Amino acid sequence: MSDAVIVESVRSPGARRRGGLANTRADEFGIQVLKGLLARVPQVKPEEIDDLIVGCSFPECETGMNLGRILAMGAGLPISVAGMTVNRFCASGLQAIADATAKIRAGWSEIIIAGGCETMTHIPMGGSAMRPHPDWKFDGSMPDVYINMGNTAENVAANYNISREDMDKMGVESNRRAFEAIKAGKFKEEIIPIQAAKYVKKNGKRIREYFTFDTDDGVRWPATVENMAKLKSPFKAGGNVTAANSSQMTDGAAFSLLMTPEKAKALGLKPIAKLTHHAVIGVKSEEMGVGPAYAIPKVLKMAGLTAKDIDVFEINEAFASQAIYSCRVVGIEDRYWAGDINPNGGAIAIGHPLGCTGAKLTAQLLHELKRRGAKRGIVSMCVGGGMGAAAIFEMV
Amino acid sequence: MSLEIKKAAVLGAGVMGATIAAHLTNAGIECYLLDIIPFELTDDDKKKGLTEKSPAWRNRFAANGLAGVTKSKPASFFTKKNASMIKIGNFEDNLKWLADVDWVCEVVVENLKIKQELFAKVEKVIKPTCIVSTNTSGIPIKDISAKFSADLKKRFLGTHFFNPPRYMKLMEIIPGVETDKAIVDYMCKFSEQTLGKGVVVCKDTPNFIGNRIGAFDLSNAQRIMYERKYKIDETDAIVGKALGRPGTALFGTIDLVGLDIGAHVNKNLYDAVPNDEMRDMFLSLPFGDKMLANKWLGNKTKQGFYKKTKDAKGKSVKLMLDIDTMEYVPAGKPKFDSISAAKKKATVAESMKTVFYAEDRAGEFVREYLCKNFIYSANRMGEICDDIMSIDNAMKWGYNHKLGPFESWDAVGVKESLEVMKKLKLKVPKKVEEMLKKGCDSFYTVKDDGKYYYDFEKKAYAKIDENPRIIILPDLKSRNKIVKENASASLIDIGDGVVCLEFHTKMNAIDELFTAMQSEALDIVEKDFVGMVVANHDERAFSAGANVFQVLTAAQMGQWDLIEKGVEALQGANMRMKYLSKPVVTAPAGLALGGGCEIAMHGARCLPNGETYMGLVEVGVGVIPAGGGCKELLVRLTEGIPDGCIEAGFNLQYHMGKAFENIAMAKVSTSAAEAMELGYVRKSERINMSRDQQIYEAKQLVLSLVATGYKPPRPALIPVMGENFRGMVNAIIQNMLYGKFVSEYDVHVSKKVAYVLSGGDCAEGTYVSEQEILDLEKEAFVSLCGEKKTQERIMYMLSNGKPLRN
Repeated sequence: MSDAVIVESVRSPGARRRGGLANTRADEFGIQVLKGLLARVPQVKPEEIDDLIVGCSFPECETGMNLGRILAMGAGLPISVAGMTVNRFCASGLQAIADATAKIRAGWSEIIIAGGCETMTHIPMGGSAMRPHPDWKFDGSMPDVYINMGNTAENVAANYNISREDMDKMGVESNRRAFEAIKAGKFKEEIIPIQAAKYVKKNGKRIREYFTFDTDDGVRWPATVENMAKLKSPFKAGGNVTAANSSQMTDGAAFSLLMTPEKAKALGLKPIAKLTHHAVIGVKSEEMGVGPAYAIPKVLKMAGLTAKDIDVFEINEAFASQAIYSCRVVGIEDRYWAGDINPNGGAIAIGHPLGCTGAKLTAQLLHELKRRGAKRGIVSMCVGGGMGAAAIFEMV
Repeated sequence: MSLEIKKAAVLGAGVMGATIAAHLTNAGIECYLLDIIPFELTDDDKKKGLTEKSPAWRNRFAANGLAGVTKSKPASFFTKKNASMIKIGNFEDNLKWLADVDWVCEVVVENLKIKQELFAKVEKVIKPTCIVSTNTSGIPIKDISAKFSADLKKRFLGTHFFNPPRYMKLMEIIPGVETDKAIVDYMCKFSEQTLGKGVVVCKDTPNFIGNRIGAFDLSNAQRIMYERKYKIDETDAIVGKALGRPGTALFGTIDLVGLDIGAHVNKNLYDAVPNDEMRDMFLSLPFGDKMLANKWLGNKTKQGFYKKTKDAKGKSVKLMLDIDTMEYVPAGKPKFDSISAAKKKATVAESMKTVFYAEDRAGEFVREYLCKNFIYSANRMGEICDDIMSIDNAMKWGYNHKLGPFESWDAVGVKESLEVMKKLKLKVPKKVEEMLKKGCDSFYTVKDDGKYYYDFEKKAYAKIDENPRIIILPDLKSRNKIVKENASASLIDIGDGVVCLEFHTKMNAIDELFTAMQSEALDIVEKDFVGMVVANHDERAFSAGANVFQVLTAAQMGQWDLIEKGVEALQGANMRMKYLSKPVVTAPAGLALGGGCEIAMHGARCLPNGETYMGLVEVGVGVIPAGGGCKELLVRLTEGIPDGCIEAGFNLQYHMGKAFENIAMAKVSTSAAEAMELGYVRKSERINMSRDQQIYEAKQLVLSLVATGYKPPRPALIPVMGENFRGMVNAIIQNMLYGKFVSEYDVHVSKKVAYVLSGGDCAEGTYVSEQEILDLEKEAFVSLCGEKKTQERIMYMLSNGKPLRN
């Protein structure tokens, strides 16, 4: 059995909903990230790429019609390059990389590009035509798979005593870290700048123009716990989950290039890392945010490791309540404040583009491990409908 | 010269200018709103990178005016969308825009020199047909126009709005000596029909009519209070509803307007009327001076004559100023026997008379106060206007008095009042004594051919010109024009083959008798008339909904058959009205809620007044709209979908979501324009602006439909989402329940709404008939009536007048 290594991992900047990528189609910025990735590895002959796997949570409208195939063709890859779209909601991007790894390890592919692409500006949560089953019972006899994500976060906060103050503190810290990281230029290496569209009126005619979008635009800094404390919960009367301690709805794409180590060597490419283990697990829909609390131990057990063996974690901040709870259960809350978890800010500051998130966090993790000269990292997230996912990455 | 105002410019973007501009957009007129450039760049501006070239800085005053009016309460715009009809700019850069406007309305600071300089610039850019006016409340028109060209003088006049312009009916029109009569006539007609105002034509005298008489009225009351040692709360208890005054009474009104404004008006007036026999009335009083010095200007400074604070328990407490100590003390609710007795009277006139002749302290106050008002008004005749209606209308429309001074005088009895005046040692105007000597005992009188007023000039009664565009139902009733009537409704012949169905229950609630009359009316119209208007004159409500008391009684007695029959009768009458072979035009104004909204939705056409507050609010009492409201909302929201789209897979969720939101959240429009946005009124309908002329316009609409060969509409087929809609709504309301935003019972009622709107058990994209939805409405309504919590909601509404959330 062969192995699979990642030789490059990049992402677009995270664009807050109706922000920098508001007028750029998802397939368009997805294609640009793909092209940017390929430009960094000119040694790879496009016809040698076997498949493109794209994670997407709402694969419809402009991300419909099998986004995987459309992006491959749009990026100018030869028609021999196949493409597919995978959906595990917020874990889709990570699933794409895990599937690619598994296929390469199985010897079924030599080179695969895997990642995710999502536009939350154009396609709302729930999709454009949500049709819950009319006979679904909401009396507790069936899991509430249609529950609003904000309510699940309120449940986690209420059921596990996550205080408003702790949530708001994470809200501030996430923004502070992202602000510092951007100021220090830390994201420059992993970001593919996007030629983003905007519509303007010139001489009475509406036309499309472009500008370079190269920086995550969701960071809210300066921020203070005092100011955040003033916000009200839109999800629950008297609740504690607010816009300031929740992830932002975001547009973005991220991709990694995976291949066998042999192929990398033959092409003269230096592998960065490999995904060694990947685990998913189901949890209650009504408190889907606890996902990482179960997925991280599961993947660590699979690898025979403990949390101490992990240098850096990227745990998606879907909501501060669930991120804090998950850290607590895994016993790593102190490491958040020590800067080993979401060291450069998380989804509260730089966004959560659903199906892209796993691939985006992978790019962030690998570049951070490289900067630190560290060895191992974990990407983990909770998943709508009630799931957790986690993967261990090892630098090579 | 044919005149038509399509586009206007308002110069000056203060509160008055911006709210005038907003009201022009309500009338469908696009406008420019311009103001001066700020005096200098502040440090803050510089920090933001603004320069003297930045439009954001140059247009700041106009931008602030527009932003303010967008947020104003009560709302100045019919719908916030109207804000896009206002283009902001400044006097330096954008005066050239005035070249294409039909009307320039100046509302800048009350400074003659500034106004003159601005008009000098305006004159250079406007087109030769442009009408130019000033909204000055105090500066003589002749002074402002002194340096105008002869040509501009012909097109210049005063157009004085009252604040807030959307809601205050009065518009004073002040022609200059040289103003073209055609322009004055056009502006009167335009103000009435297009802006919905009540016009009073004034002479060019200081403060015109409203603020001349109004300033006297306010000063008069304050002076009596001061000299005769009444307290603030006592004065307000006296000069309040018993005298037909607004609920804010005297000092609440002054606090609302601002003490500084009142003081400014009085000072100007004092200087401007050297020959006024009661000029000293406009001098300030010691407590007023102190309040001004302390900047206790009223609501805008959070304290004036009243001040609201909270006690130790956090409960709101109303304090009032003690004008002797100048300290705030708790305000009470003083009781006077005469005021209590007056409140039991059926009409304001009787109520006023009761207090006027009472022996208590309230009576003493009112006698002096009203007599002085009467005398002052009579003495102004000929000086500020030529007929008594002008003064009466100005006070009714500009100050919200139920009766003007001359109507009030009639109410207390002119002859008897002269005795009172003599006792008070007041100088009775000779012209009034003369009137009595001529055998004219009142200022107004009714003769067989109409209403008359006493003309001081002619020293005789003169007929009041009837405006053919104003149809007054009580007048027609008194002229034997009733076709049919019962205790709840009347059918009145309004001429040319058209009848008007008028409700007249309390708040025009719909009861069995009303529905019976509606059915009978349809029979009669079908047989003997060409069409029908459904309308009334009620100030508050076209109809506040069904009489829920009757529903509750039937439910408590388990008379389900009766409830079912009631629903069927209502549905039947509405459906018959919709499909009648003769056109029915509904003309709602004020509240049109629940069953009232449903009736308004079932005409061939609807002609709502701008101030129509419409909604299907049934869930508030735990039921759903069952008079065809759900059905008609579905028809309206889906009828614009092109044929074939549904078959092609059109996603109806947003249309259906809107219908659900409207009903489940009991959304009520704040204007007719908003009723269109919510879907209660078709966007292709026209909005009536003049409530006075609404019935006339509705009648004309009936006649035009008849003239063009009216045919009832084709029965509607309604596309629905079936079970999928229920799945969608279930998930959404479950989330709201989770978030504790709704109660379990809200969810129960909402599911019923969703079931009706879904069209029943069918597939997405199915077309259902109107009757199918009506049957679902009936089924849901009857089943909800049997629920304990619905009965609790109805009971709570009946006893508290607001919905219960159980």
